[in-house]
Amino acid sequence: MVDILATPFLWVVATIALYVVAYWGYGKWIDRNVWRSDAKKATPAHMYMDGVEYFPVSRYVLWGYQFKSVAALGPILGPFIGITFGWLPALLWIIGGNFFIGWLQDYGSMMLSVRKEGRSFGPITYEFTGAKGRTNLLAFVLFYLIIISATFIALIASFWNAFPGTFVATLGILLAGLLCGQLLYRIKMNVFAVTGIGLALVVLSIYLGVLFPISLPWGAWNLPVWAFICAIILYAAAVLPTPMFIQPTNYLAFYPAYAAIILILVGAVITPFTNTTIQMPAGPFLFDPQGILGPIWPILFVAIACGAISGWHSLVSSSSSSKQLDIETDALPVGGGAMLSEGLLALASLIAYMVLAPSFFVGRTNVTAWVQGAVVLTTPMLGGLTAAVLRTFFGLVLIIYALTVQALVTRFFRLVAGETWGESRFRALGNKHVSTVVGLGVPWGFAVSGSWWALWLYFGGANQLLAGLAIMLITIHLARVRAPTRYSLIPGVFMVVTTLSALVWQTGTFLYSVWAYIQKDNTWVLRNVRGPIATDPNLLIVAVAINGIFVVVGAVLFAVGVSMAIRLFRSYSRSVAEARGKAPAAADGGTREEESP
Amino acid sequence: MADSKEPAKPKSRGRKVKEGVKGVFYGMAAHGHVTAALRTRMYLEHLFMFITLGDMLGVPVIPPYYSLRILPYAVPNIKSWKQRVFRERDFTDQVF
Repeated sequence: MVDILATPFLWVVATIALYVVAYWGYGKWIDRNVWRSDAKKATPAHMYMDGVEYFPVSRYVLWGYQFKSVAALGPILGPFIGITFGWLPALLWIIGGNFFIGWLQDYGSMMLSVRKEGRSFGPITYEFTGAKGRTNLLAFVLFYLIIISATFIALIASFWNAFPGTFVATLGILLAGLLCGQLLYRIKMNVFAVTGIGLALVVLSIYLGVLFPISLPWGAWNLPVWAFICAIILYAAAVLPTPMFIQPTNYLAFYPAYAAIILILVGAVITPFTNTTIQMPAGPFLFDPQGILGPIWPILFVAIACGAISGWHSLVSSSSSSKQLDIETDALPVGGGAMLSEGLLALASLIAYMVLAPSFFVGRTNVTAWVQGAVVLTTPMLGGLTAAVLRTFFGLVLIIYALTVQALVTRFFRLVAGETWGESRFRALGNKHVSTVVGLGVPWGFAVSGSWWALWLYFGGANQLLAGLAIMLITIHLARVRAPTRYSLIPGVFMVVTTLSALVWQTGTFLYSVWAYIQKDNTWVLRNVRGPIATDPNLLIVAVAINGIFVVVGAVLFAVGVSMAIRLFRSYSRSVAEARGKAPAAADGGTREEESP
Repeated sequence: MADSKEPAKPKSRGRKVKEGVKGVFYGMAAHGHVTAALRTRMYLEHLFMFITLGDMLGVPVIPPYYSLRILPYAVPNIKSWKQRVFRERDFTDQVF
């Protein structure tokens, strides 16, 4: 047995202990004193029960659903960027971000929606900030979805390129999903039998993937081709009926995805017995030692999004989970509990990076590092399986996480585009097929041209800004009902300021690259793009254009974010003033107004 | 005659744990798909009701003879259908 301090074991235990305190201590306290959840108060699930959207569901079922809906590629790849500043700051952000902000946002969004009759964030934003505020949110979400799509398409293409066995395995799962959909809904076969057949096909797919690795022969053009194949699959997922494709595929994908996470967590806990030690430096490094990313603040706080805090979760919490909450007191285990559990997923991923040598992170382009770390952690347990099988399995897991969420994101983009342009003069853009092509074509262009870490920081910036805005909505509501607001206001302000700063930094990086090109220095321009644009000297002008486009994207994201933030802060000020006007004593911590259910 | 219904026995800890684990597993693997299937059925039902009972909204799609034949079967669902179909929906409701 090795020195226990040199292994990740103690950090796993410490993080779990602090999350327990976050839930049982801080969480319960907020639940009791700020939101004052009441098990006897009727929830929307009971008030508007229709058996379709509104119906009460057990807290265990809802926890599983919430966790599955929020856990994706974010907590897996975020730490890859975050570890740039040393593993200790990354770990502290995963612990502290989740302790003070992450769970508070997920839980608060759910409670806010419950108290607002199950309404989601669109109508709530309309109520708090008016029609322009909602339009602002719509515009922001559209950009946000494009950036998510670009990031995930870029990553899926990179994974297929890096792990030759995974493409056949992915195709196998997709075909197995199609088959299972037909067996379930057309032939009406028993769900257990279908699950058995599906899982057998998943194992077969991995085996076939190992046997028939596929590598494309076009060098720098491989990634654009892989990204195009990915876009075709996503197009099918977005336009086909969900029971035919997305549902059964996501169902089958669930099993290997969660098996992998459990394996990694167990592998991390038993590191003292497997002689697996931490290889990466603890840091903290105030600036990226490789000179690529920039300063620890604000970059670290947007690099690690899900796992610490994520705006996407607020949409999920206020969309369907809040409509199915049986009793108000379930919001803490469902919303807060699922988020803290996702923190463990981020922890598992961080540990997978911690046990790797620093050489894996040179250039920040080795997106396969998580798979290498997972293999290191699990090989002592799964010694019977070869490294090729494990690499294919964990590579497939990464692809599954990205592909299943991206299928839903593309579908959501189509619906948002329909909402935005369906009745305007650009109604063609609201068409099912046109909007899907746009929702995949633009991200494809970004994915094949921009470096993935540059996209990731835009994704993180937009995602965390959405989180900051969600926390501000929560704070406005608390101010209106004269409940204590400081516990959400401080995190809200921190998130808004940090993410806007990150967007400024990242946009500035692209702007500086264009400026450097004008000054005859091409290195900066090429740093922000990927092959083939980065490798072909004839495409230099394209690289400049890409940098210019990313300046515009960053500037628009920043402008929409600032506009939204100003509206929310104004609304908050008005709410506080109104609350003070109504009952001066109550606004300072006295008896607060009872909320209508 | 005494009431034959006996009060439900409190669940044992083991049974609670089993139900909890089963619930979590179902929630992770299938709940989202079940609600999506329910929603798909809801939209089909909206279409069916609009076609068959459009008269209620002043939009006769099929002759009233057929609507009246269907009416007895549709009556039990009309209230909940109206509740669902008239509910305001936003794009943020469509996330999951």
